[in-house]
Amino acid sequence: MSEVKTNKLTGTSTAGSILVTGEGNSTTTSLQQGLAKGWANFNGEGTAAILDSVNIASLTDSGAGKFSTTFTNAMGNVYYVFTGLAFHSSASGFDDAVCISRDNTQLSSVSTTVNPFYTFRVEGTVQIKDCKENMVTYNGDLA
Amino acid sequence: MALGKIKADTLEHSTAGSLDTQFVVEGSAKVYARMESTGINQSLNTSGFTDNGTGDYTVTFTSAFTNNVFAGTTSPVGTAARAAQYSNSQTTGIDVDNFVSTSGSRADGAVGFNIHGDLA
Repeated sequence: MSEVKTNKLTGTSTAGSILVTGEGNSTTTSLQQGLAKGWANFNGEGTAAILDSVNIASLTDSGAGKFSTTFTNAMGNVYYVFTGLAFHSSASGFDDAVCISRDNTQLSSVSTTVNPFYTFRVEGTVQIKDCKENMVTYNGDLA
Repeated sequence: MALGKIKADTLEHSTAGSLDTQFVVEGSAKVYARMESTGINQSLNTSGFTDNGTGDYTVTFTSAFTNNVFAGTTSPVGTAARAAQYSNSQTTGIDVDNFVSTSGSRADGAVGFNIHGDLA
């Protein structure tokens, strides 16, 4: 088995572009583009807290179901891809239907360093509420 | 200067541990996009966008997958509680749908998604 020991990978032609041959052994994909640029698993109930993360400097709890993450290393523009998923068990023991979404009212505060978002729960009606387990992932270009 | 090429099974950092390169190949996102009804804002491995109607879009890939059982996640952006999903998975593209959570009706709006799977 061959092994490369290094602390940093850099493209020779373009520093930020390294190609990886795909599973079919012919098509290539960008190593840098394919890497998640940030992710976090956090508890949104009570005192919100990050349990584990990459490139997330802090989590801000702005009220019921309202959070924002701040990146350690900024993104290159505001059109980075944000996906998220949350789980929450109701008092009756059943899992509530939940989702994570940005809201247009938050768009003005989206920046290359801060991403605000809401967590929704369905308890008869759709409500903006805290959820116990939350997972978010970011793809896109680093600055 | 000729392009360099490294063939290796493992990458090892001095302090942060090592990683089999199969996880680099198989664990990398093969597609991602942040899109609106007017088009794609930022993406990896997308070649086309079609607006099929309110909240109903088709995205085509530049490089195809080996099969259509790849794994994708979506998140919406909306003026109210929204939900997003992808459907009609093909090796060359997917449909992306955006909904109002309270009614289930399709609605235009921004959506982010990423896909993991095997490239052809």
